[in-house]
Amino acid sequence: MSLVGLVECRDRNVNSVKKSVKEALKLIDYSFPRAKKIVIKPNMCYYWDYSTGQTTDPNFVAALIEMFREEISPDVEISIVESDASAMKCKYVFKYLGYEKLAKEYDVKLVNLSEVEAEKATVKVEGEVFEFSVPKIIKYADLRVNVPKMKYMSFTKISAALKNIFGCNPYPRKFRYHSEIDKVIVALNKIMPFNLHVLDGLTVCGAKTLRLGLVMASRDPVATDAVAATIMGVNPKSVAHLKLAEREGLGKIEFAVKGGDLDYFRRRFPRKSISEKVLAFGYRVACKLGLDKRII
Amino acid sequence: MLVINMEKLKLGVIGLGFIGKVHLRNCLKLKSARVVAAADKSKKALNYANEFGVKQLFTDYQKLLKLKDLDAVIIALPTYLHAECAIRAMEAGKHVFLEKPLARNPREGWKIVSAARRNCVKFMVGYPLRFVPEFVRLKSRLESGFLGDIQLAYAVNITAGPFLHRAESTIPRPVPEWWLNKELTGGGALIDLGCHMINLLRWFLGEISDIKSRLGYHFNFDFEDYATCIVDFKCGASAIVNVGWFSQDTAIGIELHGSIGHDRAYHSPSNKIITAIKLLLGKTPKFYIPHLKELSYFVDYVKNDDKENRLSGEDALRDLEVIAEAYKNQIR
Repeated sequence: MSLVGLVECRDRNVNSVKKSVKEALKLIDYSFPRAKKIVIKPNMCYYWDYSTGQTTDPNFVAALIEMFREEISPDVEISIVESDASAMKCKYVFKYLGYEKLAKEYDVKLVNLSEVEAEKATVKVEGEVFEFSVPKIIKYADLRVNVPKMKYMSFTKISAALKNIFGCNPYPRKFRYHSEIDKVIVALNKIMPFNLHVLDGLTVCGAKTLRLGLVMASRDPVATDAVAATIMGVNPKSVAHLKLAEREGLGKIEFAVKGGDLDYFRRRFPRKSISEKVLAFGYRVACKLGLDKRII
Repeated sequence: MLVINMEKLKLGVIGLGFIGKVHLRNCLKLKSARVVAAADKSKKALNYANEFGVKQLFTDYQKLLKLKDLDAVIIALPTYLHAECAIRAMEAGKHVFLEKPLARNPREGWKIVSAARRNCVKFMVGYPLRFVPEFVRLKSRLESGFLGDIQLAYAVNITAGPFLHRAESTIPRPVPEWWLNKELTGGGALIDLGCHMINLLRWFLGEISDIKSRLGYHFNFDFEDYATCIVDFKCGASAIVNVGWFSQDTAIGIELHGSIGHDRAYHSPSNKIITAIKLLLGKTPKFYIPHLKELSYFVDYVKNDDKENRLSGEDALRDLEVIAEAYKNQIR
């Protein structure tokens, strides 16, 4: 059973977030390691900013940067990483979401993983071998910090810690992986294990967008996702990539929450209505039948 | 000029991006026209047209323009290609329906309008909001005098701009890079959405005498992603126009305040899932019915010499001149 710390944070200013993150880390008995190079992977899936609940709030990342400099060393080298995707290019997203400004203000590096040196590596998931390019900046980092969002996703039911690492694959045309998405998510997490998962639940994108004011922290990505799924009203054991991740040894679906009240966040999360679930299911079936090509 | 008989008008669609696909699907629903060809640089886009039964497909639109058995073209290319493509089509003797905005600037726009005149072809610019039933009703109430003389008006067009979800709402749509280069678009939200609202307001209130703008940069683009304009009309009315690309929700509307009464009209999209289901079933979603009506109008206009052109190139050029004035007269 893995520990997950929950803290409520009603304000998105950097000091409030930093205080909440420190509290969440204390709840899971986290001790800061000695590190010279830290990689932070926020969710920058598209050009929608933090207010939509789709992407990580730059203030949240700023809070982490300040915290690591206070707790590890003021000289620690910090890189914020993301890769190009089918629908998004880093050169635009860094600017539009406010990360260029953040990088300048905090003197950290912004790294497009699709443009940096990488090494080929293979990994097995349920006997199937996958080969990926692993960016050296991730491979040789002393501390890898995942800063995901929590949201519904048609292909994977939920997107949180494990799915966020999908964005560390430097190959830009990620749409090609959608047919094997669960295995690919697990493979990427196995090949690029992150040490710490701090979920930005300040603003969340459920059936609607809501300022949930949640900070979640854990060392275990599977437990992080299991708690996120529970809050979202999804049975963690019904999420294929979570079950697979547990079988492949990435973590435990069984979790122990410390700090905030799980039910409080679960009650407030904007869940899908039954009709929305039925329509979404119908849409997924249409996709499987190949009818989605008709959609513009 | 081509002679059009009672046979179906033979159409070609040039550009199969998002709006090109909307036009293609709508063309297929027209009883008095048929799509005989399509052109796009992307083979994937051409496969989409092929699935809808279009047989003559080209990666180079100039080859499509050489087709003798083609009466008119629908051009839905990026704005920077409008002038080049429209002029070539007109010189090939094809009637032209061109997606808005007419061009990146009035100078380019004027070249297109001149080419249409010089080659004696029919030319219409796509402004679907002119076919939205709510706006048509508002215009009718205004003309009937129910509102009296209009003193103040408010126009709003705030959307996600190019940053769209696919119709089923959970998957973001790739943004073509030309959208993010103001040299290729002519500007940001002001030209993209402002031209719709300036065109509508001019339809309601007549000619504009002055316009000032204030541009906004919510997303740190090199160009404006929202803008507010203060507009004066020759009739004595004034209007505020708000346009923006910053919202995941859509607000497209007009409010009129007259000496007798007030009225408003809004054009709203239907639920995304319902839109997706309608698209899957080959139906036209509510939001795109005005696009269907404008194409139907274009086909009638081409086929009938006595039909008025409600959306002329000259009218679209005037919209572009007003937008250029707005960019020039910025309030800091």
